[in-house]
Amino acid sequence: MKLLFLVLFFSSLSFSAEGDFNCGTIECDSFSADTTDLASLQSGLTTYMNNCYGCHSLKYSRYNRVAKDLKIPLEIYQENLIFDGSKPGELMNISLNEKDAIEWIGAKPPDLTLEARIRKPEWIYTYLRTYYPDSSRPYGVNNKVYQNVSMPNVLEDLQLNLSSAEFDKVIYDLTNFLVYVADPSANERKRMGVYVLLFLLLFTSFAYLTYREFKKELKQK
Amino acid sequence: MAANEKNSGGIVNWFDTRFPVTDLLERHLSKYPAPTNLNFWYLFGFLMIVVLAMQILTGLWLMMNYTNTAEEAFSSVEYIMRDVEYGWLLRYMHAAGASAFFALIYLHMFRGMMYGSYRKPRELIWVGGWVTYVLLCAEGFTGYVLPWGQMSFWAAQVIISLLGSIPIIGEDLATWVRGDYLISGITLSRLFAFHVVLLPIMIIAVVFFHILALHEIGSNNPDGIDIKKYVDKDGVPLDSKPFYPYDITHDIYALGVFLLIFCSVVFFFPEGGGYVLEYVNFEPANPLSTPAHIVPSWYFTPFYAMLRAVDFSLFGFTAKFLGFVTMAAGIAIFAALPWLDRSPVKSIRYKGILSKAFLTGFVVSFFVLGYLGAVPPSDLKNLLAKVFTVVYFSYFLLMPIYTRLEKCKPVPERAPEH
Repeated sequence: MKLLFLVLFFSSLSFSAEGDFNCGTIECDSFSADTTDLASLQSGLTTYMNNCYGCHSLKYSRYNRVAKDLKIPLEIYQENLIFDGSKPGELMNISLNEKDAIEWIGAKPPDLTLEARIRKPEWIYTYLRTYYPDSSRPYGVNNKVYQNVSMPNVLEDLQLNLSSAEFDKVIYDLTNFLVYVADPSANERKRMGVYVLLFLLLFTSFAYLTYREFKKELKQK
Repeated sequence: MAANEKNSGGIVNWFDTRFPVTDLLERHLSKYPAPTNLNFWYLFGFLMIVVLAMQILTGLWLMMNYTNTAEEAFSSVEYIMRDVEYGWLLRYMHAAGASAFFALIYLHMFRGMMYGSYRKPRELIWVGGWVTYVLLCAEGFTGYVLPWGQMSFWAAQVIISLLGSIPIIGEDLATWVRGDYLISGITLSRLFAFHVVLLPIMIIAVVFFHILALHEIGSNNPDGIDIKKYVDKDGVPLDSKPFYPYDITHDIYALGVFLLIFCSVVFFFPEGGGYVLEYVNFEPANPLSTPAHIVPSWYFTPFYAMLRAVDFSLFGFTAKFLGFVTMAAGIAIFAALPWLDRSPVKSIRYKGILSKAFLTGFVVSFFVLGYLGAVPPSDLKNLLAKVFTVVYFSYFLLMPIYTRLEKCKPVPERAPEH
């Protein structure tokens, strides 16, 4: 009875609530984020600010929070990565309005602060690397992951000028940055978590020993 | 009160002559007689008290930074996650706390069903616990709407539209509950008020009643024996141990194990694989775009599967209304258990093969329905949902028959040695 209950409990957990995250017409490439790799995050941020930020805001995040977490000195950050004169404490919002966006591209580009939590990093990583020429589309490109996407292949120049491995690295860094910005406290959380669990292990060990002593005492009564 | 005249400490004595502090503490905590044969299944009540306290504290701090308007709700949650000191910890604890609360209450309820804790004279304790569960469902649902993500919005849409299926008054009732013709900021505001004021007050009041009633009657035990039959010269049951220190040390050990699991989720898997925080809910509510699969939180999926299992109309009632009634009945029927069980014994240990088979059927159907409610429907899955909805209800509805038919084992007079 007990065993059956436990087996059922754990087997029910193995079913994913969302089903499998396949990538449109293909399987997702594997992606393993490393938000402790600051060089990668800095490179991803640079790619983002230069290629994506014109259309895709990061409106829940603040400039100076990113600078602090990625250990970029504020002056360098302000000079090189803030283009519209925003103050460092402001949210990373953009001036593209919905009406213009629909007129120019056909849809409003979504905010990407939480994209890595909604879509999953492996989806983003695969998506950005699977544009292919398709003359039937307005921009002459289509995508294997997101069929008939309205976004042009913004990174085409990079894709043409870099080797395939170099380009993959650029996209890896960009995706890694999006993973960071979706949950910026993750590194601190995991670091704290280790200490919390160590403390709880110690606490539980002593709690167990106390329990055992009183159980013995009760038996002798 | 003889204890008071001993004059053991001025302050305690001063209070005792005005309010029975020592007496209350001894009766409800330190000297509360817990049966000697309590096991693992008796730990969840204590753990729920801890989780309740944690939910109230984290909720209080979340509320200090949350904005309950359709325009600001989503971004205020991200503000908590990013700009509030340790806001992420508060939010992850509160979200994981909700799931933990339901996991614990299901285990706690299952314990009561196994050992017949709902039987005379504990019917009111059981019904009080059931009221807590219903309030907790309301608390879970209202809280789920507050982050105002896609799933918040559409889950509210689905659940409140169920009221619309009630014949004649349905649509007006749904509009009245929403405060609008669609789910809107008005709905959000009122659900927020329920979530932070009305429901917590009711939950605390009912839990207080539940514990007070329990301490008056005394705990049941895995053997379902009455420990008050054999008492020593002071009236203390022979098969009992005082809560302090024998039971509290067990509870604290259990708390350590629970917190290890809980903190592993909070610090390392805060989304809980999409069960604690759903991925779709990181997208702000959009009334114009319906998500591909609308799925309730895992703790509601068994009942959601029952709702979907009823896909036929009957006697002029729509399938939606009948599904709604089935789902509500699935939750309500727990309250009737004390009057459905006609067995001469309380505990499953001494009940016959039929009770064991039906209880197993209930557990299996609860898990299968829970799975079916979380995945997109198909013809086969719908058939399975129908079958297991029948199995689920047969545990309750056939209980008056099978508990009288089966042959039970004799119950010992005293608690077995442990």
